[in-house]
Amino acid sequence: MLLEQLAGNLFQGLVLGAVYGMATMGLSLIFGVLRIVNVGHGAFIMVGAFVTLWLFTALGISPLVAVPVAFVVGLGLGFIFYYTAIKKLIKAPELASLLATFSIGILLEEVIKLIFGSEFRGYNWALPKIDLGVTVLPLSKLYACIGSIIIALILYLWFNKTRAGTAMRSVVEDTEGAKVCGVNVDRVYANSFAIGIGLTLASGVLLTMFIPVGINPYMGGSYTLKAFVIAVLGGLTSPYGAFFGGLVFGLIENGSYTLFALIPGVEPFALTRFLSFLMLLVILLIRPTGILKGK
Amino acid sequence: MLQVSELESGYGPMQVLWKPSIRVRKGTITSLLGPNGVGKSTFLMTVFGSVTPWSGKIIYEGEEVTHLPTHIKVDKGLTLVPEGKHLFGGMTVYENLMMGAYLKRAQQYREESLELVYSLFPRLKERGKQLAGSLSGGEQQMVTVARALMSKPKMIMLDEPSQGLAPLLVQHVFETIQKMKAQVGLTILLVEQNADASLAATDYVYVMHEGRIKAEGTPEDIKSSDEIREAYLGL
Ligand SMILES: Nc1ncnc2c1ncn2[C@@H]1O[C@H](COP(=O)(O)OP(=O)(O)O)[C@@H](O)[C@H]1O
Ligand SMILES: [Mg+2]
Repeated sequence: MLLEQLAGNLFQGLVLGAVYGMATMGLSLIFGVLRIVNVGHGAFIMVGAFVTLWLFTALGISPLVAVPVAFVVGLGLGFIFYYTAIKKLIKAPELASLLATFSIGILLEEVIKLIFGSEFRGYNWALPKIDLGVTVLPLSKLYACIGSIIIALILYLWFNKTRAGTAMRSVVEDTEGAKVCGVNVDRVYANSFAIGIGLTLASGVLLTMFIPVGINPYMGGSYTLKAFVIAVLGGLTSPYGAFFGGLVFGLIENGSYTLFALIPGVEPFALTRFLSFLMLLVILLIRPTGILKGK
Repeated sequence: MLQVSELESGYGPMQVLWKPSIRVRKGTITSLLGPNGVGKSTFLMTVFGSVTPWSGKIIYEGEEVTHLPTHIKVDKGLTLVPEGKHLFGGMTVYENLMMGAYLKRAQQYREESLELVYSLFPRLKERGKQLAGSLSGGEQQMVTVARALMSKPKMIMLDEPSQGLAPLLVQHVFETIQKMKAQVGLTILLVEQNADASLAATDYVYVMHEGRIKAEGTPEDIKSSDEIREAYLGL
């Protein structure tokens, strides 16, 4: 009985983990190419979630269509923030870019609050549930999982098969080396930041399918934390590392939830969050370059 | 081919180059010698554009290129093999070479350049599928030089290509540089601390000290001047 429940939860963990992974790829891409930690990461996820909400409630547009729309909005925001703020900070001390991305996060939260208010809001995408044997899963979550896998595959192909993607990979490997090959490093920075933000907004769309309580402008913080843990699990600079880090994180989060729920008198949800913090600390102490991809 | 006049640059508030001027003639090997820390690498990086020039003028093939970005310079056939091993460690040797031919102009000549590179460095053909980061120091140095050749350059600036190599490999590096000049017709600006070996391989020499050019001449001139050898080259 317990094992069945655990298997079911672990399966759900994998489904959620794929989306977590996808939701971290943008963070890793930006860190890998620009060496900037986007502390406002969760706020961009939140904006993606509000794009979904608005498209659905105001225009009746399906969340599946919201994925590419949010990506394009993210590209736009990415280019705007890159050229107005980030560009000048790439060579500055780390504190400058930390403060800048932190402020951008707050800016986004306040703008969304002005437009939508600060209460929790939800939308009702009525899709059937399906019985997969190990567990019963709402179709929307399955779509989110498949969508994440497809996006990760597209990114993989982009990185390995296109000229622009190869240029990005070369900058991640060695910026000076990329320059002497004739790569326009400034443009790679701008494109990577924009694509990173685009991916992050798109992930916000998919994550709404896992938030039963609804979304609000301040929902981003916990996703920033989770994304840091996942990025560190996956080796920080690799978007695919991040994807697999997400799968591992989803498994651990859901598996531990099941086990914590057995302990009488504790609130399992709070403990899983504590566990994320603990994982982040432990990994940074033992293996700062990541668990999956050691170098 | 290349004419640099009164170049100034540095890092933050610290000035490193104090108006050195040099001229590199087409089809020659010119070397820039001097002990550690005098600004040789900074000079090459400023000419290439990865360090921003503060003032001065850089003329390449009759055209002023002082403030052109690096990718435009590579497209015009001017490239740099930076000090240290700036290769793509997580890519295979073959992928590294293909990255060298990244620009459209270089892509056209990819097969031809690859043949040339394999004839100069047969070892790299065998190592094609290996990750560049897993190679020995000498092989990694070959990859960075080979990658620069893949960009179909007219002029290459080499920053201490023999650094950290065993004597036999150092000899091989200098032979290869000679071949690049004689067989490929490249113009080469070579930075070295290994004064003996480079004096033997060079057409013209500049000696740098504290960000300034202190002496210049043919290798014979430099070798015959005890003053220069003792004061700047430690020979
Ligand atoms: N990236 C850098 N930032 C700050 N100072 C630097 C940097 N690179 C080199 N320097 C300083 O500039 C001076 C010249 O260095 P460099 O051009 O590397 O000399 P060389 O190549 O002749 O050994 C040295 O004092 C060095 O410490
Ligand atoms: Mg140097």
